[in-house]
Amino acid sequence: MKTFGKLFTFLVYLFLYAPLLVMIIFSFNEAASTSVFTGFSLHWYGELLNKRQIGEALQNTLILASLSSITATLIGTLAALGIYHMKKKAVVKAYMTVTNIPMMNPDIITGVSLMLLFVFVGKTLGMQDSLGFGTLLIAHITFNIPYVILNVLPKLRQTDPHLLEAALDLGCTPVKAFIKVVLPAISSGIVSGLIMAFTLSLDDFVISYYTTGSDFQTLPTLIYSITKKPVKPYIYALFSIIFFVILLMLVLMNVMQAKSDRKNARKNS
Amino acid sequence: MNRKANIRQVLLNAPYTLWAAIFVVVPLLFVAYYAFTDSGGNFTLENLSNLSRYANVFKKSLLYSVIATIITLFIAYPFAYFMSKRSANVQRVQMMLVMLPMWMNLLIRTYSWTLILERNGIINNFLELFGIEPLKLIGTPGAVILGMIYNYLPYMILPIYTVLSKIDVSILEAAEDLGCNSFNKFRRVVLPLSISGVVSGIVMVFVPSVSTFYISQKLGSESEWLIGDNIEYLIKSTTDGMNVAAALSLVLMIIILASMAIMNRFADSSDGGMIV
Amino acid sequence: MEKNNKLIELKNIVVEFDGERVIDDMSLYIGDGEFVTLLGCSGCGKTTTLRVIAGFIQPQSGEVFFDSKNINGVPPYKRSVNTIFQRYALFPNYNVYDNIAFGLRVNKVPEKEIEQRVSEMLKLVNLQGFEKRSITKLSGGQQQRVAIARAVINRPKVLLLDEPLAALDLKLRKDMQKELKNIQRQLGITFIYVTHDQEEALSMSDTVVVMHEGKIQQIGKPVDIYNEPKNAFVADFIGESNIIDGVMEDDFKVKLDGKSFECLDKGFAKGEPVDVVIRPEDVDIVPAGQGMLRGVIKSVTFRGVHFEILIDVQDFMWMIQTTDEYKEGQEVDLKIDPDAIHIMKKSKYSGQFGDYSTYSDEMDALSEITEEDEE
Repeated sequence: MKTFGKLFTFLVYLFLYAPLLVMIIFSFNEAASTSVFTGFSLHWYGELLNKRQIGEALQNTLILASLSSITATLIGTLAALGIYHMKKKAVVKAYMTVTNIPMMNPDIITGVSLMLLFVFVGKTLGMQDSLGFGTLLIAHITFNIPYVILNVLPKLRQTDPHLLEAALDLGCTPVKAFIKVVLPAISSGIVSGLIMAFTLSLDDFVISYYTTGSDFQTLPTLIYSITKKPVKPYIYALFSIIFFVILLMLVLMNVMQAKSDRKNARKNS
Repeated sequence: MNRKANIRQVLLNAPYTLWAAIFVVVPLLFVAYYAFTDSGGNFTLENLSNLSRYANVFKKSLLYSVIATIITLFIAYPFAYFMSKRSANVQRVQMMLVMLPMWMNLLIRTYSWTLILERNGIINNFLELFGIEPLKLIGTPGAVILGMIYNYLPYMILPIYTVLSKIDVSILEAAEDLGCNSFNKFRRVVLPLSISGVVSGIVMVFVPSVSTFYISQKLGSESEWLIGDNIEYLIKSTTDGMNVAAALSLVLMIIILASMAIMNRFADSSDGGMIV
Repeated sequence: MEKNNKLIELKNIVVEFDGERVIDDMSLYIGDGEFVTLLGCSGCGKTTTLRVIAGFIQPQSGEVFFDSKNINGVPPYKRSVNTIFQRYALFPNYNVYDNIAFGLRVNKVPEKEIEQRVSEMLKLVNLQGFEKRSITKLSGGQQQRVAIARAVINRPKVLLLDEPLAALDLKLRKDMQKELKNIQRQLGITFIYVTHDQEEALSMSDTVVVMHEGKIQQIGKPVDIYNEPKNAFVADFIGESNIIDGVMEDDFKVKLDGKSFECLDKGFAKGEPVDVVIRPEDVDIVPAGQGMLRGVIKSVTFRGVHFEILIDVQDFMWMIQTTDEYKEGQEVDLKIDPDAIHIMKKSKYSGQFGDYSTYSDEMDALSEITEEDEE
């Protein structure tokens, strides 16, 4: 059973990584071929650097992800506080249902539905092409907010409700009490909501594809249009770089996580 | 004080309430509005009645995504089970290795398979060495289903692993103590306790699979076009397809809502139902 | 200790949550420097009363006075009362020193003075040397001390304590009871203390306020509450009591179980039905034929200092505490002296308490559950 388990695990990982490894290998191929490896070369990476289009798209993606995740964190944190203080269960349930819609709906529906709204409003206002950076930003904020709420709300619920009262009791005004006591208690939830929103925004293709215009490309929408035609291996160089960036981030996160786990373990002992 | 509390409540809720109303609820109403109107904005049922043309597409979408979901489940469950048995450090590394492909963009993950499956891809090159005729791998239903499995396998592994790793060891010991052998322990204790993870895994794989358009375009041929591809085509490549696309979206949404309702009912009754 | 001025006064307070009345027309005043305990089981309104005084809850109607000034609508941060919360509510993002200094910093007291006052406080609660310690690394008792110091450092006129010892184990609780009492004496400020533990209430307080169903059942000194309970609820809640139906025959004469007994109470109408309270330790067991009431011993339980004996007298189960051991099934007589008998007017609680046939509420609850299951 044990050896079977290990073999099975290995095979699944092979399945998960084989295509990515093939891609990385051929990004170092001398020739343009993706079937025969003729020799090691960084030539495609050099070519990648010359693609201004890609640099621009990367910049767009980062700007979009930053703006949308920060805005979503602001709105989402306020919303989580509002929901936390709601007294009627039915109202809370209604809010949570609406919050769940962008998460449960397939991306294509979220994208198409927002596009229909934007196009309709654009037409009503007599605009030629209403889709662009603005609509894209709105779309990203929309699908990011729920993740912020779902990260902050549990932190609020875990926080001792008497903490706020204790601060009031000791002379803080409600706003001061919130900043000095509640905010530190939920800050980890806010930060993880922000990070999650940022990465989701970086990664999103489907919703972006329907809500952006031709003048604003993100990295994923650019990749889509490049891979529609037969491609040159410089795109594999791009994919490989993305792979290694994610790998680096994951390793860093794990090291940090392991450190804090060990710290907690020592604290408890 | 009470009035102040009310004002604070309004200030906290107002931004999100407005945002969700305009950008979550209203867009969904627009889907319905476009589905029931023609390009001139007049009420019509034509879009929906014309959907019978897409009956085959719906069938194919459902079939492919159900097959992909089932296969994914049968790969993910044992994988997550074995993973939950390993030491904490191994689990951490394994988890990272599951997340890494998941964090790669869907487009890249899908596209990377073309290198392997192409007419002159890795597999066919390999077969050629033995003088075997190249196989038609890409552009087949199998390739589309493979793409779905590959893309969404981590989404099945993670929730199942999460519930499995949370099962209290003493519960398993209690089961052994009460006379369960490994099989019974699995069937009567582990499986029922992990149903919630299985259900969310199924939803997380099925929903994006049934609504995909990139996977089927890259790995399938035109005869493997799914609902998503048709919506995409109507919106991006035609000038008057918006209304039919909205009708397709509406039906897709209903299918997904219905299947989630079924899954939720299954999850609710699983406490009693699975233990028999 | 007790001064006659009214530091805090509640007038006809009504609090409702979702249409349910939690405090029902409650009036109460508390003197300066008093140690007052609000005593009752959960849901009786004691914590709500505390929160009304602290300002966390606005009453639907009624008035709260502090130093004869109406403070309805004054927010908690402007009231010169401080609270010790049930689970302390220490700020996890600050260490011991910063937690204690919190109130002074909010009020912009100079750092130098803060330093001096915090060290005074640490001395008061015996936590010298813990300044830099993280809150999460403290034991329950230490957290309790920090909570006390954090509240007291602001020199409030009134300290509100919401079941402050409930989370501690028995031995620590006893120590902290003494310590709290000492702190109150040293500071000379008013303590309003909420607890469900009658022993705690009796041993610490100057005045006990027994609450039930949002109403005050009795206010008095601990000894008076124990010896002269006002109704069957108080008699049962404070200590153990046998509560028997009786009829006043005359002043100083009550009839129960068909026999006349002498007592020390007067002023009831002739023939008035009353509740008769007899504490278990005040009844003597004597050989059959030598006492006033004949009964059969149903159970004998050893409790350490004494035996707890249940005796069936005409289908009413008496509880008696004695240091002598008896056997189950033995026929004995009960002897009751006049000063052991306390007469109460009939109330809505008559007949609900004081018969040990249904021994404990817990057993009642259990049997109720099984009944429900069977249905």
